[in-house]
Amino acid sequence: MGEGWRGGRGLDQRATFWFIYLPPLIWLGIFFALPVLLMAAFSFRPDMRGDFLQLWTPTLDQYASVASTISYLRLLKDSIIIALGIGVATVVLAYPLAYFLALRAGSRAGFYLVLLLVPFWTSYLLRVMAWKILLGTEGVINSLLIYLNVIHEPLTALLYNRAAVILTLIYVWIPFAALPILAALQRIDPILFEAAADLGARPLRQFTRITLPLSLPGVFAAFFMVFIPTVGEYVTPLLVGGSRGFLYGNIIQDFFTKASNWPLGSALSMIMLATTMILVLLATRLIDLRQLFE
Amino acid sequence: MKSKRSMLFKTQGWMVAFVLLLSACGGGAPATEVPPAEQTGSLTVLEWAGYDAEDFWVDFKNTYPKVTVNFEIGASDADIFNKMKAGDQADIFHPYSGWLQFYVDEGLVEEIDTSKLANWDKVPDSYKKLGQINGKQYFIPWDIGFSSILYRTDKIPEGVDSWAVLTDPKYKGHISMWDDGPGAVTVSAYIHGYDETNITADQLAAIKDEWITQRNVNLFYWSGEPELQEGIRSGDIWAAYAWQGSYAVLLGEGLPVAYANPKEGRNSWVGFYGIRKGTPNMNLALKFLNEKLAEATGTNVVNEFYYGDVNQDVMKSVTDPMLIDIFGLKDPDILEKTNFTPNLTAEQRDAWTAMWAEVKAAP
Repeated sequence: MGEGWRGGRGLDQRATFWFIYLPPLIWLGIFFALPVLLMAAFSFRPDMRGDFLQLWTPTLDQYASVASTISYLRLLKDSIIIALGIGVATVVLAYPLAYFLALRAGSRAGFYLVLLLVPFWTSYLLRVMAWKILLGTEGVINSLLIYLNVIHEPLTALLYNRAAVILTLIYVWIPFAALPILAALQRIDPILFEAAADLGARPLRQFTRITLPLSLPGVFAAFFMVFIPTVGEYVTPLLVGGSRGFLYGNIIQDFFTKASNWPLGSALSMIMLATTMILVLLATRLIDLRQLFE
Repeated sequence: MKSKRSMLFKTQGWMVAFVLLLSACGGGAPATEVPPAEQTGSLTVLEWAGYDAEDFWVDFKNTYPKVTVNFEIGASDADIFNKMKAGDQADIFHPYSGWLQFYVDEGLVEEIDTSKLANWDKVPDSYKKLGQINGKQYFIPWDIGFSSILYRTDKIPEGVDSWAVLTDPKYKGHISMWDDGPGAVTVSAYIHGYDETNITADQLAAIKDEWITQRNVNLFYWSGEPELQEGIRSGDIWAAYAWQGSYAVLLGEGLPVAYANPKEGRNSWVGFYGIRKGTPNMNLALKFLNEKLAEATGTNVVNEFYYGDVNQDVMKSVTDPMLIDIFGLKDPDILEKTNFTPNLTAEQRDAWTAMWAEVKAAP
């Protein structure tokens, strides 16, 4: 009986494993891994002529064309630097929010959390459009400044430039970034604070020696959650970036859509993917995330 | 309207009789053509946003009320081409000047048997020819329009007489160019007198530099017309590359706008319908195209979008002086003064779109 029961339990565990892991694996396989592989294959295609799924002689033409176009590579570099800046700024701004929710909001934390998430109830596009209403020449900020007689002509520098893209993206990411930090802060055992206080640590020291180090896994998770998609971001620059606010993702998007040049778009994508992966790997080496999570 | 409708039914009647006679002569199975009003089935049209409105296929709707027409929306010529190439199952699609050759090269389009189109005679030969590739009628022309400069007359009271206004530092921060590489090449070709069908590598390099510099005056590139219209409405944009549909919309709102007649000539484009190779709905598709060429549908295009229609009966009945002015209907040389967009080759498309990507990527 005992053995049979154990055997059954083993089977059950295996079944549970497949039941839990298989659906997302299939999903990711079909809708993530396969498209990435296809894109990798397309990046070695000479041009778009012929059927989508035909055999072609692999060529490095697309990579050569990217390598010989300095402006694409410079834009990739700029996009990475901007994404780094946006990642850092977002985490710095999201941290106090998460801190408040986790350690100060008390019984109202749930309510404040809902408030934080309210922006997600509306579409991303609407929120970005709202920034246009705020920053436009006839927008809220300009109208207010003109009304207050601070300026006489509307400021045109607010919208349609890279600063507007950065501002908007930081705003969009803050609630996202607050969540992993919040989760990390909630995991801290309150007894540690009591112990620290008993041993004479003042609040600032408690923060720098306990709260901050223990919440770092959440901080890094938040940073990468912002940094990685921002490198390839293209919607926000289209809406508020004007003629000079484009990021690397816009060039990729153009080759896939307007230019009907998927091979070149794929090569640009693979280069971005590889660069981002290398950067993340380097970062994890430097920070040693595993140690942080232990 | 009523008389037009009954005329249409009469034409349909004749067509049915003719088809019956033909099939009888052919000696095939006795044809049992269902009367139009009883015809059923469904058609899918890959269209541009706005053209899915019933006004723009009203003749078909009225003649074949029981046929379901589904619309898929394409955002641009490239989008429509990509969709068709990826195996979109739309029966009919709507490409514009410049993009026709690709569909033929890739085997995506069926040759059209124009003998099945009763309204075909109302289309002038010059337009018919634009839909022919390699001597075959793969496309039927339908809507015609101009690209020119749309500007605010209150902001630029001196007026606009050249495409070069799009690069004029005097209007820094108030210009909007269409987000399109081939469109930019066209504008530069007009300004500098280049042969648009034969742009050399040196010319393309000069064009790239010109548009990189142009970003100093350009506020944003527009992709969709509503975005452009909003810019002009708000007063941010004073002059822009635009299609006359946007002029129509803004003028209709009472904005002080004008549509330039540049000394280099306006650009003109034609919209076409093609039938997907291998469609199981060939008969219905031909009927749809025939009704697209009918008068009520064409009249709506003229009145609502200020675009021209290939049906000359429609154009002859235009009485609105503003429309006569827009189309230059009184000007016998208007077609000579208009630059029609030539068909691109795949090499040109790749080179010109890459040039544009470099403009956008430039620091």
